[in-house]
Amino acid sequence: MKRRHPIRLSRVATYVILLLGLALIVLPLYITVATTFKTPSESAVSYFTPPKSLYLGNYQQILADSRLYTAYGNTITITVVSLLFSVLLMPAMSYAVSRGRELSRGYQLLYYFLLVGIFIPFQVRMMPLVKLLSYLNMLNPAGIIVLYIAHATCESVFLYVGFLATIPQTLEEAAYIDGASTMQTYVKVILPLMRPIIATVVIRECLAMWNDFLLPLVTLNRSVKYWTLTMYQYNFQSEYAVDYNLAFSCFVLASLPIVIFYFIMQKQIIGGLTNGAVKG
Amino acid sequence: MQKRLHVNPLLRERRRTFTLLILPGALLYSVFYILPILMGFYFSLMDWNGISKSYNFIGLDNFAATFSDKSFARAMGFTVRYTVLLVVCTVLLSVLLAVLLNQDIRARGFLRTMYFLPAVLSMITVSLVFNQILYRVMPPIGKALGIEALSVNILSRKNTAIYGILFVHLWQGVALPTLMFLAALQTVPSDLLEAATLDGANAWQRFVHVTLVYLLPTLSVVLVLTVKSGLMVFDYVKSMTDGGPGGATQSLALMIYNNGFVRNRYSYSIAQAIEIGLIISAVSFIQIKLTGRKKVD
Repeated sequence: MKRRHPIRLSRVATYVILLLGLALIVLPLYITVATTFKTPSESAVSYFTPPKSLYLGNYQQILADSRLYTAYGNTITITVVSLLFSVLLMPAMSYAVSRGRELSRGYQLLYYFLLVGIFIPFQVRMMPLVKLLSYLNMLNPAGIIVLYIAHATCESVFLYVGFLATIPQTLEEAAYIDGASTMQTYVKVILPLMRPIIATVVIRECLAMWNDFLLPLVTLNRSVKYWTLTMYQYNFQSEYAVDYNLAFSCFVLASLPIVIFYFIMQKQIIGGLTNGAVKG
Repeated sequence: MQKRLHVNPLLRERRRTFTLLILPGALLYSVFYILPILMGFYFSLMDWNGISKSYNFIGLDNFAATFSDKSFARAMGFTVRYTVLLVVCTVLLSVLLAVLLNQDIRARGFLRTMYFLPAVLSMITVSLVFNQILYRVMPPIGKALGIEALSVNILSRKNTAIYGILFVHLWQGVALPTLMFLAALQTVPSDLLEAATLDGANAWQRFVHVTLVYLLPTLSVVLVLTVKSGLMVFDYVKSMTDGGPGGATQSLALMIYNNGFVRNRYSYSIAQAIEIGLIISAVSFIQIKLTGRKKVD
């Protein structure tokens, strides 16, 4: 890690570029947050000055909008329930596929079948999906939960099976010899070992679902009571295009949970997203 | 050891449990992932508008029609140009930032935290915020600086709108590749760099001949991720320009969406999606071939 002390000039350049980049990232965020505490007439004067007084009228108005709470509720329900089922089903399936491959070729074929979707972009199945859900009367949060669970199959199976290949089977064999059933072995021995990779998958899926726009747009946009946070923001913008102080407050409130989550779980999130991307 | 497990009753119990563990997930995947793809292939051979009760089999006509469709060609032109710009800028910026962040500098952790922050926000939030910034904040600055191109909302002009979208995409999209390259830089053996220094290599030569070699596996992943996100760009375009002005920023994904959901060209839009899917599959396939170590096994 320790390098030779580089020449002064390159060091200065490093700082200059990195600070410029930092400004480019922070400035829009600052403008956004600062504007939420200003009245429209105040922000019209300058976007860059800090708010004179903490004007809370924008937030009061947004917080009085019942659609915000509906959107929070929908997004949280969809994300949490999808993740629960995903954690219940996907590691289990991956374990069976991973170890079954040694028993018969069928499992290997199944593995390829479960991965084939990686190559097919969402747009190919987007239109039929909406038809399928409407046949089944599932154009609602329950429908989108089912879709998300199925949606993440390829990537999760790929990551889980890859991880399981690194767990030596001696542990399981010891459990079998002690008379444990396959199910007990999975739950008591394997599942605890899979915790790090489950965390990786959960973080990836959690962010992807929380921030998803296209799937809610094509399945849930029709009815206000099904809107997720991204739908709420999108529709809010077209409704309140003029009142951007209000719009910005809406964006800040909608992003707050994910930003807090990021600052608490930073290490895991960065690790999960970068490692997952390399492997997936 | 292995032999022991193959005793019959044990084996039967294992298989039964495996089936139980596989069944729910595999069923969901078959019905809600594979079935829609098959439905898509079926409908792409029809002339359905998505609403009427009946439709006819027309073979590959939808696919043939895409080749004489001017708006398809235009969307393809926009998307390819956009993707090339996105890929080049993403790779250059993220390698540069990763190398700089890898230096022995102050506040490295803080900088890394802030540089990655855009990646966790939703694309929609980011585009909606920049909509307002490009509309309200930038033009006065452009005027003050005397830069003509920036003195109006760049999203409102046909020839500059693409750069507005690209900027926002980069603002958010550079974060993940930067961190991936930063992780790859940790794998460069420092003794190799020292040896190169002793051999008289300057910083640039060290970078090209030593560091770059260790970045190549990550580069191939970043390339595929970025190519995909460019070819399928939707959220940014939909929420910033909705394809405008005058169709100048209509991306392939937005065109498919509009044909399928707005213009009632259901079958036709699926045919378009399949064609683009083939391109993306080819890209993914080539990438997996190139980085043989990531074989699905």
